[in-house]
Amino acid sequence: MSDDLEKQLREALRHVDPPPGFAARVSARTQSEQRHRWLAARHRWVPATLAASVLLSLLVAYGWQLRHEREQGLAARQQLIEALRLTGEKLDLAYRGVQDASKPTVPPDTGDT
Amino acid sequence: MTDGDACSLCDALARARSGDAAAFTTLVRRHQRAVYSLALRMLSDRGKAEDLAQEVFIRLHRKLALVQSETHLLFWLRQVTSRLAIDRLRREPRYEQVPLPEDLPLAAESSSGDPLLQQQLRALIAQLPAAARAVVLLRYQEDLDPSEIAQVLEMPVNTVKSHLKRSLERLREQLTGEAAVPAPRTDDAPL
Repeated sequence: MSDDLEKQLREALRHVDPPPGFAARVSARTQSEQRHRWLAARHRWVPATLAASVLLSLLVAYGWQLRHEREQGLAARQQLIEALRLTGEKLDLAYRGVQDASKPTVPPDTGDT
Repeated sequence: MTDGDACSLCDALARARSGDAAAFTTLVRRHQRAVYSLALRMLSDRGKAEDLAQEVFIRLHRKLALVQSETHLLFWLRQVTSRLAIDRLRREPRYEQVPLPEDLPLAAESSSGDPLLQQQLRALIAQLPAAARAVVLLRYQEDLDPSEIAQVLEMPVNTVKSHLKRSLERLREQLTGEAAVPAPRTDDAPL
């Protein structure tokens, strides 16, 4: 019975053909996958380039920002120096004016002595 | 397979490894029946079997560099097909409860046995647990001995023998006890 069952199992489990066009479908899928892999390998540098570009842009922007701030600082310093110079001149003028005003007035010489 | 066929397949393997698409198609044509039949009898669904068989060959295409010989190729195909099928059966347990299909004999192939009994056997095998089903299919469909099955499925030889013994007992019981066998459906295509 066992041998008979095993024989029947072998008969029942014979190989069957896959649906028509199976090999062609596998071939199409492998070729498509190969193309994708090739494209992925070919464009592997794109993300790295994008990342490098973004990093470079950030560095340039940061450098520009630093330079701009330094220039603004220098301009402000110049303005402050100019303002102090003008203030000094005005104070000097005012001081002279005050000094002139506080000088005793000499009466005009009448020639009596 | 003659020596000439074997040599042509070795050549096809070597050419496929170097990227020859036509040679790879030759390999697919040579092994498609074995891979598809194993997938079909494991999953009991033609669409899913084709999908699985295609996946096996796609994986083979990626791993061709690792395949050393025609014997290794056959071993690799059986191993990957069995593993993928078992994984799918475990992921989707509904596969375990397949109805008995109306399993007509293939017109193109002559059969020396009882077609109705064979149809019943295929339906009963489809009801075995995944690992036991793989063992039975590798034993009687692929004609591997228990030690080879143990290598393919990476399980101890004693486990393989135990699966075989229990599966044969179960099949024998179900064949002799008519009440245990549900009535076959009439609307499915043969497997």
